[in-house]
Amino acid sequence: MFFHIVLERNMQLHPRHFGRNLREHLISKLMKDVEGTCSGRHGFVVAITGVESIGKGLIRDGTGFVTFPVKYQCVVFRPFKGEILEAVVTMVNKMGFFAEAGPVQIFVSNHLIPDDMEFQSGDMPNYTTSDGSVKIQKDSEVRLKIIGTRVDATEIFCIGTIKDDFLGVINDPTTI
Amino acid sequence: MSLVTDSPVHSSSSDDFAAFLDAELDSNSLVSSPDEEAEDEESNDEEDAEDDKDLESDRKKRRKVEMLESTLEQEESTSQGTVEQKTEVSVEVDICQHPGSYGGMCYKCGQKVEEESGVTFGYIRKGLRIGNDEIDRLRSTDMKNLLRHRKLYLILDLDHTLLNSTLLVHLNPEEEYLKSQADSLQDVSKGSLFMLEFMHMMTKLRPFVRPFLKEASEMFEMYIYTMGDRPYALEMAKLLDPAREYFNAKVISRDDGTQRHQKGLDVVLGQESAVLILDDTENAWTKHKDNLILMERYHFFASSCRQFGFNCRSLSELKNDESEPDGALASVLKILKRIHSMFFDELGDDLAGRDVRQVLKMVRKEILKGCKLVFSRVFPTRFPADNHHLWKMAEQLGATCLTEVDPSVTHVISTDAGTEKSRWAVKERKFLVNPRWIETANFLWQKQPEENFPVSQTAKEE
Ligand SMILES: [Mg+2]
Ligand SMILES: [Zn+2]
Repeated sequence: MFFHIVLERNMQLHPRHFGRNLREHLISKLMKDVEGTCSGRHGFVVAITGVESIGKGLIRDGTGFVTFPVKYQCVVFRPFKGEILEAVVTMVNKMGFFAEAGPVQIFVSNHLIPDDMEFQSGDMPNYTTSDGSVKIQKDSEVRLKIIGTRVDATEIFCIGTIKDDFLGVINDPTTI
Repeated sequence: MSLVTDSPVHSSSSDDFAAFLDAELDSNSLVSSPDEEAEDEESNDEEDAEDDKDLESDRKKRRKVEMLESTLEQEESTSQGTVEQKTEVSVEVDICQHPGSYGGMCYKCGQKVEEESGVTFGYIRKGLRIGNDEIDRLRSTDMKNLLRHRKLYLILDLDHTLLNSTLLVHLNPEEEYLKSQADSLQDVSKGSLFMLEFMHMMTKLRPFVRPFLKEASEMFEMYIYTMGDRPYALEMAKLLDPAREYFNAKVISRDDGTQRHQKGLDVVLGQESAVLILDDTENAWTKHKDNLILMERYHFFASSCRQFGFNCRSLSELKNDESEPDGALASVLKILKRIHSMFFDELGDDLAGRDVRQVLKMVRKEILKGCKLVFSRVFPTRFPADNHHLWKMAEQLGATCLTEVDPSVTHVISTDAGTEKSRWAVKERKFLVNPRWIETANFLWQKQPEENFPVSQTAKEE
């Protein structure tokens, strides 16, 4: 799920940046530091959309660095248990497959792949129905349901399933 | 003003957000029963507690319905629609054995699990752990699949087996010329000498390695297993397998093993009875010697020779290389083909009960089959001869070893042409060879031309 939220961060800036471009420096550093990272329980910061306020700076003893509290708006992506996601398969093996939805990696184990789909090894490992009509392989797009998430300070792990109605392959790369 | 007073704003704003999420998810969930809601409030500040719980209960109920349906089908009973609600939850917990986990969650039911048993498979994906029963299950289903495709498993060592690497700083002046001869990293599929400046290394692939991998991949599902670290292993895999046809997610490094300084098959998802190993280091595989085909070491760089105590000039210094058609990889490929065909074609239909380790022994026994050996000045005096590694090696190669000469003897193995037995061999027109004849046959899996292994005249009594 995507959220538009306000977060706050204490930014340290080198004194050489003090001047009329201070604000720009702060913001570009903020983008570099924050976008694409996983921010604990909030999920992945996808993009910063605006800066609400920059507080008073505090000069740090000895170094001359100044710390500014910055409040910013951003879009975050955070998967939830029960959420349905569309994801691209990145790796298929005998344990199941890994898929990614944006920055989130989801593992769908063979326990949660429909029983009529069997693993086929080879150059392009895949799960295929006995009649060959449905195939999951690298780059397939699947619709899956998250059944478990663990959000670390820097990473998000997800368990997914396609063993349910309306889940499974939505796009087969070989037929494009 | 100080930041210390500002800082709490940070955490409280994120808490606000989390609380908002939790509330939002709460109101969206349709099926939270009153007692669950009460519980939710208590655990308000626990991460995820609420949303997870609600959705979980949602999911459990859904599964309940499914289970109920299947129970109905089986037992054709139609009662107890609501009683099921309470009991089912515990039943479900019983059902999931938590076969394995990803990121600390069971990959079958999504619950958080304690990671204690099982084996981590970080080389497949960080955070992946598989329980022992599940490993057994995967191995046996995979085995059937594999046999159907007429394949076995092959574990390949990197250093001195498929390639030789050196640090750039260890290149000596005579090897400096290599730097200008390194192949392009743009299309590695055609090169064999690579300068990996970002790793401060130079790597030389063993001659014949590309045809070897191509042909072996038709008979085996292949893994790389190296004592090198993970970044090195992956970099080497890129050189050997640029198209990622062979080793996709099957590169095991020392960071992935379960025991220090040992390689083990526990991190390989293949049954031991179907695994062959190519490695130049026997000691790395103490538990799996019977699966091992020991490789002659490939030393291309001078530093590699020094490291193993050889004072000879290296291939790089001699501007030479191992033979492409007759080198170690070409000869071991023949052996692999021999084992493969014996396994699948020559021993009858009972594939399931077959053990490649037995087949390996049988193939090894063909090498010196029919040879009768006597040793002279090879073992220290009063050393129990049949305990010596050369004696054992000769027997594993199918030779018969004797302590005294008799007319049936075919070869005298000696380090000194002047001994009584050596002179007997010359007189009786038997082969007189030095011990390297056996060792080379062992490495190359082929009986060697005797004339290439003459015995020197160390003691000139005559
Ligand atoms: Mg080695
Ligand atoms: Zn479980």
